Amino acid sequence: MKTPYAILLFIGGLIAVTAYMTLFTVQQTQQALVLQFGDPKRVIKEPGLNWKVPFIQNVEFFDNRILDLDATAQEAIASDQKRLVVDAFLRYKIVDPLKFFQTVRDQRIARQRLSTILESALRRTLGEASFIAILRDERENLMARITKQVDANAKDFGIETIDVRIKRADLPEANSQAIYRRMQTERQQEAAQIRAQGEEISRRIRAEANRKVTVIKAEATRDAETTRGEGDAERNEIFNKAFGKDPDFFGFYRSMQAYEAGLKSSDTRLLLSPNTEFFRYFNNPTGK
Amino acid sequence: MPWSNQSGKGGGWKSGGGPWGQRPVGGGGKPTPDLEELLRKSQDKLKQALPGGRFSGPIVAVAAALIIGIVGFFAFTVRVNPDEQGVVLRFGKYVRQLPPGLNFRLPYPIESVYKPQVTRVNRIEIGMRGSGDARSVTGSVRDVQEESLMLTGDENIVDVDFQVLWRIKDASAFLFNIQNPTTTVKEVAESAMREVVGENNIQDLLTEKRNQAEVAVQALMQRVLDSYKAGIDINQVRLQKVDPPAQVIDAFRDVQAARADQERIRNEADAYANRVVPEARGEAQTILQAAGAYKEQTVAEATGQAARFNSVYGEYRKAPQVTRTRMFLETMERVFGDMDKIIIDEKGGGSGVVPYLPLNELMKKPAAGAQ
Repeated sequence: MKTPYAILLFIGGLIAVTAYMTLFTVQQTQQALVLQFGDPKRVIKEPGLNWKVPFIQNVEFFDNRILDLDATAQEAIASDQKRLVVDAFLRYKIVDPLKFFQTVRDQRIARQRLSTILESALRRTLGEASFIAILRDERENLMARITKQVDANAKDFGIETIDVRIKRADLPEANSQAIYRRMQTERQQEAAQIRAQGEEISRRIRAEANRKVTVIKAEATRDAETTRGEGDAERNEIFNKAFGKDPDFFGFYRSMQAYEAGLKSSDTRLLLSPNTEFFRYFNNPTGK
Repeated sequence: MPWSNQSGKGGGWKSGGGPWGQRPVGGGGKPTPDLEELLRKSQDKLKQALPGGRFSGPIVAVAAALIIGIVGFFAFTVRVNPDEQGVVLRFGKYVRQLPPGLNFRLPYPIESVYKPQVTRVNRIEIGMRGSGDARSVTGSVRDVQEESLMLTGDENIVDVDFQVLWRIKDASAFLFNIQNPTTTVKEVAESAMREVVGENNIQDLLTEKRNQAEVAVQALMQRVLDSYKAGIDINQVRLQKVDPPAQVIDAFRDVQAARADQERIRNEADAYANRVVPEARGEAQTILQAAGAYKEQTVAEATGQAARFNSVYGEYRKAPQVTRTRMFLETMERVFGDMDKIIIDEKGGGSGVVPYLPLNELMKKPAAGAQ
């Protein structure tokens, strides 16, 4: 009873150990390389359960996901000699585990290599572009070019470059101060301009108002004079019609009125000769 | 075969039996019964310790079944919370997704289950730190200048703080396609925001293009993340703060003040115009009315005078000489009546009245009289 039990246990244990040493799991996020005494034998890209020969073969796992590499910020010089601080990041993927293992062996070395490649590609590409192109006009385009360059180099490591994106493209601190000063003066100028424009508008409005006032008054005066002229004309017409009947009598009649109105007792002193018509009967009751 | 013996005995009980079991194999198996006896004794003691020792068999069986049942239940099922989605891997390979609730699964070495929180909206803050950010370095709210200061398209610098709200769109893609989802979202957000800010002018960003920038960043981020197959959905990009940098903010405020000044001075001018023009219209009316009045007055007076003349003339025609003389005399009577008069007869002297005139006195008198 004792012996078969032990044998059973022994066989079970043997199976377990063998299974443990033979089978291995490749996770969804992984890919694997089976090595036989350091010599690559198989590439496993599909996740799942796999086997190897114990003791003779061992397995290297590699990440299957998109990996990120954040380059350290560095100064680059644009084609127009402006300096800028560029911070970029890189997304890559190990597509050929065999090549990757043969050339760079592990992530740490791969990242060092990629950093170097990325930095030189950044510097080269940005050096060919103007500052404003990097900042605004051709950013997308430049990122695509850098990606292409890095990809061409990284292919040798079995790495596919997904993309390179410029995170920051800023000016160095000293230049930033200059920009601040410029922004300040620009704003001051803008404020002054706005105020001056306000003054301009104000004066225009006032001038227009004054003009309107003058025109309104002038037009009113014109119409008023016309009306007065009409009145005068009508007056003349009336007088002409009335007085024209006997100009001689009108002369007399109007003279009488004028004497009466024009000679006031308070400011007039007369020196009279008795030889006038008024004094006709003064000396002589017959009138000469 | 010492090795097989060891595993035969030690495997059954304890690995601690190994070093003892090796020596007595050739010696006749004397210590082995001792060991079995020892075990039997301890088993007996255990049975005695248990209450109702005689029924221990079924109780142990039930207990064992219960334990196996419980362990089995937990080994073969998995609970997925309502905010989660289960992703099942069989030997590391993705096989299926599980809805919220209790789900069947194979026990550990065969299947493993990830449960990402797919309904939760995650928040990333850029340009500042704090207020519930998991990756916060210090935990307090503070501005991170190297993240928030960025160059605009017209080479100005603007201070931008913003939040990104994101959610897992595709659980398996999220788990298996990218290495650091949170870092990725953040880096993509920063890159996208700087790209969008770099395409715009500062004045637009500060004013009417804020919303457009939010939408543009969201679209760009989504495009980039989709190109990574990240399984991430950007819900919203929310600009918290878009300001000029602290160093120049006074100058920007002065521009605002200048705008207000402009508005004010313009309003003042409008007020002036609104006052002066109606006044002028009123004055014009006054002038016109005065002229109208003059005309009517003139005509009326003329008509009156003409009528008077006509009347007089009518009478005059009847007896011209008499009327003329009468009118003359009457008028002269009125004119001379109140006046100072000096009558000089020229007939006697040859030189007329002139030598007698005391002109100085004559001039003085009316002046004094006028006073």
